Amino acid sequence: MGDKPVLLDIFHAIPWFQQLSEDHLGLLADFSHLVEIPQGKDLFKEGDKEDFLYVVVNGRIAIEIFFPGRGRISIYTAEPMDVVGWSSVTPVVRQRTASARAVLDSRLIAMDAQALRRLCEGDCALGCVVMRRIANVVAQRLLVTRLQLLDLFANPGEQKIHA
Amino acid sequence: MPEIKLHLGSQVAIRKPVLDQVLGHLEKAGYQTIGPCIKDAALVYAPIGGLQDLPQGLISEQSGGSYRIKPSNNARYFDITPGAQSWKQFLFPPRSESFKLMKENGHWLEEGLSEDLPRYAFIGVRPCELAAIAVQDKVFIRSDFTDPIYKHRRERIFILALDCLHPGDTCFCASMGTGPTVESGFDIKLTELDDVFLLEVGSPAGLEAMQDLSVEAVDSRWLQASAAGRKAAANSMGRVLSDVASIPDLLINNLEHPRWKEIAARCLSCTNCTQVCPTCFCWDVEDATSLGGKNTMRTRVWDSCFNPAYSAQAGGNIRPNTASRYRQWLTHKMSTWRQQFGVLGCVGCGRCITWCPAGIDITEEIEAIRVDAKE
Amino acid sequence: MSDILLAPAKATREDVLIAPLWAEIVEITPEAEGVSTFWLAFKDKALAASYRFAPGQFNMVYLPGYGEAAISISSHPAKPERIGHTIRFVGNVTNAISRLRPGDTLGLRGPFGMPWPIADIKGRDVIIAAGGIGLAPLRPAIYHIIENRADYGKVTIIYGARAPGDLLYPREYDAWRKKGLEVLVTVDRGDENWAGQVGVVPILFYNLRVRPENSVILTCGPEIMMRFVVFESLARRVSQEHIFVSLERNMKCGQGFCGHCQIGPYFICKEGPVFHFGQLAPFFNVENF
Repeated sequence: MGDKPVLLDIFHAIPWFQQLSEDHLGLLADFSHLVEIPQGKDLFKEGDKEDFLYVVVNGRIAIEIFFPGRGRISIYTAEPMDVVGWSSVTPVVRQRTASARAVLDSRLIAMDAQALRRLCEGDCALGCVVMRRIANVVAQRLLVTRLQLLDLFANPGEQKIHA
Repeated sequence: MPEIKLHLGSQVAIRKPVLDQVLGHLEKAGYQTIGPCIKDAALVYAPIGGLQDLPQGLISEQSGGSYRIKPSNNARYFDITPGAQSWKQFLFPPRSESFKLMKENGHWLEEGLSEDLPRYAFIGVRPCELAAIAVQDKVFIRSDFTDPIYKHRRERIFILALDCLHPGDTCFCASMGTGPTVESGFDIKLTELDDVFLLEVGSPAGLEAMQDLSVEAVDSRWLQASAAGRKAAANSMGRVLSDVASIPDLLINNLEHPRWKEIAARCLSCTNCTQVCPTCFCWDVEDATSLGGKNTMRTRVWDSCFNPAYSAQAGGNIRPNTASRYRQWLTHKMSTWRQQFGVLGCVGCGRCITWCPAGIDITEEIEAIRVDAKE
Repeated sequence: MSDILLAPAKATREDVLIAPLWAEIVEITPEAEGVSTFWLAFKDKALAASYRFAPGQFNMVYLPGYGEAAISISSHPAKPERIGHTIRFVGNVTNAISRLRPGDTLGLRGPFGMPWPIADIKGRDVIIAAGGIGLAPLRPAIYHIIENRADYGKVTIIYGARAPGDLLYPREYDAWRKKGLEVLVTVDRGDENWAGQVGVVPILFYNLRVRPENSVILTCGPEIMMRFVVFESLARRVSQEHIFVSLERNMKCGQGFCGHCQIGPYFICKEGPVFHFGQLAPFFNVENF
């Protein structure tokens, strides 16, 4: 792909990909491509059966869930360096549980998740590094989600979790 | 008998009935004489006219959660150790008016408060109680802000203090360094022996109150009896609290000690201890308006850190259970108080032990926290 | 702590719990649902001219018949003729205040409390981390920093609220940015029109490059949020003495007498509400202390 040199440059600039060897980066680049999403457009929707792992390079991607009667509620935004669609790396989930929409003009790396999974299974050392990174992403998301769950700014009268 | 001229520091002896003349002088000088007396089978601090009002021939038997007044086998007047009341209620009244407002033409105007200018003469202040007043002086009279009610009353009181020669069963003033003898801070100091009162002049006001009394020189028998009595008292404390200097750090370093929960299983959070404690100072404000909305008044009332509402705020209660509230009280009294006011809040009077319905004894609890304590 | 911003003129005397001094509500600015800023001016002109406060301090605001509430001052410290109090309507007193109109009267006692140490942190990078109503007591500090911009290094505000409609003072963020402050905003949950970040305030630290030896953190918001802000600051090697939090407890007198606002040895109305974390570290994580 013509993107490859561009992709490698971006890989080198992202902490996420550090610790991987040049060979591994080359292999990843082979099944990655760049995606440009203009502001307001969806990257994917709830229920989509697409199988990509994304890393935000520029812009902002909102993770949204549709609430009948209230519209889409944004529950997280992925900033540059953040990962979107991390569940593709795990063997379980096969459809999107939330939508992802660009709220600013955005640029992302899209990695073929099936190819990534196969690569990790074949090369355990690489698999370990990738899974560790994914575990970090999930841990941070979980912390954010927990703090959101506590609804710290709710009025005392309506706080669901009482002090 | 040659005339004995009195001056500051003079020590003399008087036959006991002569004390009535001292009280008479005080009344003439405009003081309301308050002393220990028995009312409704309880020992209280109330206005007294003379010796006849004092609890002669009585002592108290005290222990955790128990107070009994019993006849003693002598005719002394001041043997009985204090009851639930302390002198705190006169300097820091349980209820007092802060301000009153009246609405006139849409504006709120301040109404004059009922003039309340008491001049109290405290008769029979024990060393622990004197120490407690000194502690509250530090709490209520400060360089940045002052409580006007406390300051006004404090400046006008007369203190007749007395050495405590018969400490009670829950007393531990010797451990706290606050007794059982009076060193300073009095207008007159009284030591009761079998035949006489020994009086020491502590101030010009004390001198005034002792004018024209029929006094005798203190002879060596009485001095010896007094000294022996004081020594015996120091060794007959009902309770001991050891190594007091280490307590502030002990408590603040063991905020998660299992003992707190154990105490909480017994503590009723009833607030008795804070009411009888002569140094506890927390208060609340009540704002009340007349039905027509034209008058409003703010009242200051005693509060307690054991009250569930004490630490409640929008968003929840910071101390929602007894364990946290008991811990607040004890760590404040015996630890953080020192950082706030330069002294500990406890004077070793033992009231909190006697008047606790569950009989919780802070000397015992502190020792229990020493077990398995963190450094 | 520097005294230069604490002025001698206060709306209170040396006595405790005396009647408050009267002020008129000159304006009410609705800020968010259940939150408005009440602009008060003392009726006594001499007092109005001499009253001063330092950023982080609070007044006891009195509504006759209802009682008092401790409210942080949220307006410009160099313009004290009209004192702004951003009030969240949560209890008896504040709900009664919510029904007042311009022209009505409120009583004031204050200012009380230890302020943000803005005079002591010149030359440093400042991170202001606020959540919800917590931005109110920090706004006077922000104004002071803007007024004296050259005295400070990199200044970043990270602020979050529950939803876009709950953000305080959103119309001012661009003005602050123009004065050289970085302003990052997040909400717990966003809507279709929100193009900003969705997440929590402590996560905004990941957007920052913190120089630990030269940074000072000023934080105010829900206690759990502040705990995580402290955690993220310590993780980035900022020392405890350079992390400042503003605490809140049930207050009755505001002058360090009634005992209600104590935490450990401190009266929050007297030694606080601003503390550096070193003061609180020994017991900050003790539950129900």
